Order: sequence, then structure tokens, then C-alpha cells
Amino acid sequence: MPLSHAEIDEIRNILRREPTVEELAMFEAQWSEHCSYKSSRLLLKLLPTEGRNVVIGPGRDAPAVKLFKDWLVVFKIESHNHPSAVDPYNGAATGIGGVVRDILTLGAKSIALLDMLYLGDPRNPHANWLIRGIVKGISDYGNRIGVPTVAGDAWFDPAFNTQPLVNVACIGIVRPEEIISSGPSPGDLIVIVGNATGRDGLLGSSFASKPLSEDVDKDIGAVQVGDPLTEKLLIDAIEVIRKRRLAKYVKDLGGGGLTTAIAETAADYGLGAVIHLEKLHTREPLTTLEILVSESQERMMIVVEQSKLSELVEVLENYDLMYSVIGFFTDDGVIRVFYNGSKVAEVPAKELAKPKPIRRASSPPMEALKGLKPLYSLPPEPRYDDAILKVISSPNVASKRWIYEQYDYEVGIRTVIKPGYGDAAVLRLLDGTNRGVAVKGDANPRYTYLDPFNGAANAVAECFRNLIAVGSRPLAIVDELNAGNPEKPEHFWYFEMMLKGVAWMAEELMLPVVGGKVSFYNEDHTGRQVKPTATIVGVGRVQDVTKTTTIDFKESGSYIILVGVTYPELGGSEYLYRVFRLEEGEIPKPRPCSELRNGRFVYKAIKLGYVKATHDISVGGLATAVIEMSILGNLGFDIDLEKVFAIGAQRIDEVLFSETQARYILEVDPKAINNLLKLANRFGVKISIIGRVTDSGEARFRKRDKTIASIDLDLLRDAYRESLSREIEGGI
Amino acid sequence: MGKIAILKFPGTNCDEDVYYVVKNVFSLDAEIVWHKSFKSVKGWDAVIIPGGFSYGDWLRAGAIAARTPAIESLVEARDLNIPVLGICNGFQILVEASLLPGALLPNENGKFVCRWVRTVVERPKGPWLSMAREGEVLDMPVAHAEGRYYVDEKTFYSTLMKSPLIRYVDGENPNGSLYNIAGVATEDGVILGLMPHPERASESILSPRGFKAGGRVIFESLRQSIKRGW
Repeated sequence: MPLSHAEIDEIRNILRREPTVEELAMFEAQWSEHCSYKSSRLLLKLLPTEGRNVVIGPGRDAPAVKLFKDWLVVFKIESHNHPSAVDPYNGAATGIGGVVRDILTLGAKSIALLDMLYLGDPRNPHANWLIRGIVKGISDYGNRIGVPTVAGDAWFDPAFNTQPLVNVACIGIVRPEEIISSGPSPGDLIVIVGNATGRDGLLGSSFASKPLSEDVDKDIGAVQVGDPLTEKLLIDAIEVIRKRRLAKYVKDLGGGGLTTAIAETAADYGLGAVIHLEKLHTREPLTTLEILVSESQERMMIVVEQSKLSELVEVLENYDLMYSVIGFFTDDGVIRVFYNGSKVAEVPAKELAKPKPIRRASSPPMEALKGLKPLYSLPPEPRYDDAILKVISSPNVASKRWIYEQYDYEVGIRTVIKPGYGDAAVLRLLDGTNRGVAVKGDANPRYTYLDPFNGAANAVAECFRNLIAVGSRPLAIVDELNAGNPEKPEHFWYFEMMLKGVAWMAEELMLPVVGGKVSFYNEDHTGRQVKPTATIVGVGRVQDVTKTTTIDFKESGSYIILVGVTYPELGGSEYLYRVFRLEEGEIPKPRPCSELRNGRFVYKAIKLGYVKATHDISVGGLATAVIEMSILGNLGFDIDLEKVFAIGAQRIDEVLFSETQARYILEVDPKAINNLLKLANRFGVKISIIGRVTDSGEARFRKRDKTIASIDLDLLRDAYRESLSREIEGGI
Repeated sequence: MGKIAILKFPGTNCDEDVYYVVKNVFSLDAEIVWHKSFKSVKGWDAVIIPGGFSYGDWLRAGAIAARTPAIESLVEARDLNIPVLGICNGFQILVEASLLPGALLPNENGKFVCRWVRTVVERPKGPWLSMAREGEVLDMPVAHAEGRYYVDEKTFYSTLMKSPLIRYVDGENPNGSLYNIAGVATEDGVILGLMPHPERASESILSPRGFKAGGRVIFESLRQSIKRGW
């Protein structure tokens, strides 16, 4: 977004003179929504960011949370929605590159990547091209840098046909005493390491801070191109730099390029800087303005004491990394930029780094009423065999194998619970103990579209449940709020409500929101916003990776237990959409008290060894959850829906497909059932024994003796495993 | 006793994994050696070229690394009888360097594939397979985009059918390899290259349900062979 007239006046006020073109470009880059959070900053204050495990909260390139006494987990979420809409391959790839470098800035070792993709209808040719390009971009980049992509989320909806949402996250670990966090002092040298600066990604943050052009090819110059080999060398070199304590501070050159890296660092530490642009290694002759705002990838700023420069250089040269020493920090709070001796910019760091926040107008559009309307008349009940197959084969429910098999999810030999096997991924720390970390990313664009407040709250709760279901203790989350145009009150309302929903549920579940991103202007050239989406990534502490639980049924004869109460909550459900093409109604209510109580109970039951398999209930409801457990375990089941503890349900589908929150399915050994019942009693948790795992090769739901649905497992398995591939690759 | 060299190029990304497994799971002495520091095979008990994307897979997977002094020095290994193992990208490098026959082409479906598969060992022999039984099934994961093995018919029958061979179990070929080939070796089995990752299949905690840690036999064979010969 170009600077507004008011902003240019503001700049004149700050400088007390006319700005130079270089200065204008610096302000434009830094004051873009992407870099400055000017529209969101006031509201972001609502998020709970503190907790006893929080070591570094929001503000740095990445936050750090205490995983164990001797390990910190560093994690971060990023969006690359706009670049991916224009150039899906490079847009998605460079999203991975950027988020990994954020983790590197603290000296942490990246051990996992997650991708949360909200994509168009695979049968739409343009959306199909975007889907393939985005997944290939993540695959090629993530695989090449040797960080496994272990978890994520994928959703398909025509609303994302031209503007997909590509949210990526990276998880790193570091010893508390080894974290790079001392900060720069006056006199310290500024070294730029990595790729040569070129003309790619010029003012990319500014481009991401406005709607897409009608002719997207016009925006191609704002997309960056990735070079994973250099990224891998940066990873290797920074590991050595951390071990030898050669850096005082490290920062990624991401959105806003050199300008943002220097402005934010100087402002955060009350410093100024002197920069000599001609010293920077470039790919081609560039103007001073281009050097200042280029967003060429795989570049990092390393701040080093003068006395350690030669040692740093030795490490960089061993890895064949290009570098330049372009200047130093000063104590006067002013950034002075020179080119061949002549001054091209002189700007106070603090004023450059943080424009005045804007309080945006916010008001709900008429469309929002769709999510408030109670469902008073549902279509007639379908044949349940058909309905179940339809839901299981929905791309939103079916196995995401087509995506995750393109990712190397094994590299690093840490991935204990792999994609497709658990509600969250579990990675071991590989430090001689059995300890580990669980990670998961979640969102439901349909929920947040119908009801942004409750939908965002439900995303936090689902992430919480997913972390619990593998046997981990949820520690903290980061959020990515993907919204429309902040200048339009009816778009901004969705953002405001999502943010408040996240803040509320995070507070209730005692999950600090230690970092996050905001992505605005997710609208197509006609001005229609995509479905506003709140993406949550959470981490959990795993005491013993050998005692985690996966989804798959383990043994015929086990009891199937439903944890939690079921309400008739079909609004916004996958069932209504998939079977009746209905996208309306009140979405399931967030239930923080039940989440906490039921979550603690499940955590304890897993810890005590009562549970053989766990699955949280989310999209597709009870029916989907047990069928997934059955397909993955290659075992059938026999469930009596009469046994489900349901309140107010009038129809079978309100039990089978309701997406009521705070529920789990457990597989429990008959020998452990009495202990489990006692435990549930002690926690005050409602549980129902709804059926048994069988070796019949059949998924059977009945109501007492009346069969509601009975489907051959092979048929279900085929629908579940192959549907997404058929949607994307074509075929029936 | 000497050591196992784990060769690292720019873009190698399984070096630490192999190191961890060799050292912590099989108690063998090993060192990750940056390619610039690797002068000769002499003095090493064995050399492992781990997986990854050496030089970013530019040109062709393994093509650039195959022309580095480090790999050129491996020619000596054949004469000195020093075991060499190439895993995934390491296999691609060995093939590009003509230390093993054939070629590795892009996967049939054009996509990277990460998946656990079952393989079968034929004519096990040499330091890497001395403890494997004929026909033994080894479960291991693959993770590659260029793993479709190609070889001409003559070489296959005249050379490969006389040498140790690792093949995907029928129906589990993930990439369209000719003759289901997952890994090939020199006739004496001293140099072995394979696409699946034995280091990812050396601990039961990492094996998904229905699969065993099939990579163990390769490192167990090496441990035995270093002590007692093969």
C-alpha cells in the first residue's frame, strides 16, 4: 500500500523537511501493514502473552517457551498468502525459508515444519494449479533444507480459488544458556550474510498490504525466489556461530528487507546505525532505493563485536556463504545511510520502526447473520451409509496423504508420531532421554466465516485437544489471523472478532499466545474477501515419547469410549455442507470449562496407561472420528448410538455428525475400564461406553438393535485414502 | 580401531542422523567430515555418504558432488577394500561417479515421495549385508524425488544379478524403478548404494505400525565386518 497523504505529512513532521526518495521507500516498506501492524496493534494488546513458561514473548523474530528445564522451544507462524496467489511455487517455498530463518535468529535448531493450507476447489483449474504449485514449493524447499514437515492442516473451499491462504510454521529447540539474545551495542558491526541482493521482492511487504491486482502478472516482481541450498548453509553456519558464541544478535532480512532489519533492531535497543550501501554484495547493479527495500531471500543480519569479526568470517567462508560488513550501530538513535560517501537517508530509528497505530472502523456485514440463525428446520434425514461415505470422502476429511507424502517428514530421525497417525505430530528431542515435543496447527475457515469470534475460539480449543490427544501437555500457541481489507469496516469486523475469540479462549485454557502474525487484504480483485481464517499452532510437552497415543484402533474387543457431552450442533458442520450444500447456522459453542476438565482427564488417562488409542472429535463429528480410528487400525467397530450421552438431539445425524467441542474418543482395554470409570468420576467428566472394536471388517452404527449404517471397511478405506488424490489428479 | 567417515557436502542433510545412529545405536566410532577436509579413504574403516540434496540437486541429483575431489578419492576404496555406503543422495552420487552402475531418474509420478516400504535382499554379501539372510525382508522409509533406478538389460543380467541386490517388494515400488531395484552393490558388496534410509529404520520407536526397523541389519553387518572382516 503506498503511503497516504496523511502519512507523508507525518513523515515531513518527523524529519522537519522533505523526505528523499530513499527515505520515502524506507517508510513505505516499514509502515506497510505487514511490517508495522498499524491496523492491528491496538487490538493485539488483548492477547494473553504471559505465563510461567514464557521466556521470550512477542516482539523478537520468534518467541521462546520453556519446554523442559534444560530445553526451550522456539516457534513461529508466517503467512505467504499474496506471493502464493501470484507464484504458488516460489511464494510457498519462500514462506518456509522465512519462517525457518526466524527460528535461526535465536540460534535454535529447526526440528519441524507445519503447513496450514486453505485452498480452492481442486476441480477448479486455476485452484488446482495453485494447489500443486504450493505443495511442490513447500516440498522442494522444506525437503532440501533438511527440516521435516510433520503436521499441518488442509482445507478446500471455492472461496480460496484465486487467493489461497498459505500459513507455515517452524519449531526449533535450543538450550536456554545457548540462546542468542545478548543484543547489539554501539560500535558492533552489521554483517549481512547469504544471498546477493537482487531486484526480486521489491517492496514485497507493501504488495502484501493491498488487494491483488486484477492482472496478477503485474505483481510478479514483488514475489521472491527461493534458494534452499543457501538456506541450508545458513542453518549449518549459524549452528557453529551459536556454539562458538560469535554473534550478539541475529535477525532475518524478511518483509521490508534491509530497512526493517536495521530499523527494528535499532529501535528495540535504543540505537542508531551507520550504513554504507555500496558495501553490500548484490546480484546486479541496483539503485540505493532498491537495495534498501529489496526482499531477496536467504539473507540474515548478524551483529558481531569488532574483535570477533575475523572468527565469524572464517566460519562463513568455510560454508561458502557470501557476506558483507555494511556498517555499525551507534548510540544516537539515528539511522544514517550512505552510498559512496554521500548521505541518502537520515531517519530516527524509533519513528521509522513504529508508525502511529490506526483504530479502524469495524462493523458486521449482513452476511454475518447466517451464523446467528438457529437451524430450526433441517432437510430430511439421508441414508446414513451414503452420508457417511460422502463425509469421509470430503477433501476436508479424507487423508491428506497426497500432500504429506511429498514432504520428507522423517529427516532428523525425531518424528515418532508421523503425519496421518496421530492428532498431532510428536518429535523426540534426541538428547539421550525419551522426552519430546508435540505440535499441531488448526483452523476452520467455515467456522470463522460464519462466526469469527466463536470460530477462532474453537480453533484454539481444537489445537488444545489435538495436543492432549497424543498425551502431551499444551504449553503455548501462536496465531495467524488471515483477514480481508482493514480499511473496510465489514472486513475489519471479522479480524476484530477472530482476535477477541483467540484472546478469550487462550486465556480460558491458560495458553499464552506468545507470537503471531496478521495478514490483511486477503481479497480478490473484485474486493471479495476470502473466508477469514484464524490459524492456531500449538506446542505441547511430552514427558515420554514411548507413552504417547495414536489414532488407530489397536485390538478387537476393546471398549470405545466417548468423552464429553454431545449437543445438536450441526451449524457450519462438514455434514451439512457435504451432504446438503448448506453453509449456515450457529456453529458449535466453544466450551472452555469442558475443554479443560475433559482435557485434563484424557491427559491423565493416557498417562496412567488406560488408553490404547485417542482421537479428538472435530470436523465430521463422532462418525468421522471413529471411522478414522477404524481405517487406520484396520479393525471394525460396533457402536450403539443410544449409549451416547447426548442432550437435546432429535435426530440420528445430530448425534453422528454434530461437531460439539470438548469431545474425544478413547479405545480402552476391558481390563482398564473400571479404572477409567473411576477416574472419570473423580474428574467429574461425562463419559459413555458406546461400543466395541471388532474384527468383523465392518463399521456398524446401530440404535439398540436397529442398524443405522453398516459399511464395509475396504470401501471406507478406499474413500478415505484415495479421495483427495482423485480430486486433485482427476478421476472418479 | 579406525573410524567411519560420514561425508558432508553443501546441502547434505542426513549427516547428523547417520552419525547419531552409528554412534548411539550401534556404538561405532564416527565423524562427520566436511568434503573439503576429506582427502583420502586411507585411515577410515568405512565411508558413508548420507542423504540430502548435495549442491541443491542442481543439474541432476548427485551430479556436482560426484565431481568433487572427495568423491574422486573414493575410487581408491575399491582397491583398498574399504566399505562405502551411499544412502539416497549418497546413492545418486555413487551412480553419478560411476562407482555403481545404472542411473537414478525422476520418479515416475514426477513427485517427491516419503513413505515406508518393504524391500527384499538378494545374494547378501560384503560388509554391509553380511548378516542379512537371502530373501530377508527389510522395512525402511524412502524419501526422494529422483529414485527411479534405470539400468540396461545387459548390465542387469551380467552384473547386478551376480551382485548383492535390494529390491522393493512387488507392489511397493514407490518410484517406477526398473526391476523394482531399491539398491545395488559391487559384486563383492564393498560398495553399496540404496534409496531407502536404513538410519531412519534402526530404532523401533521410529517404525510405524506394521513395519519393523529393517535398516538395523546394515549397520549390524558393518559392526561385525569391521571387527572380524567379511
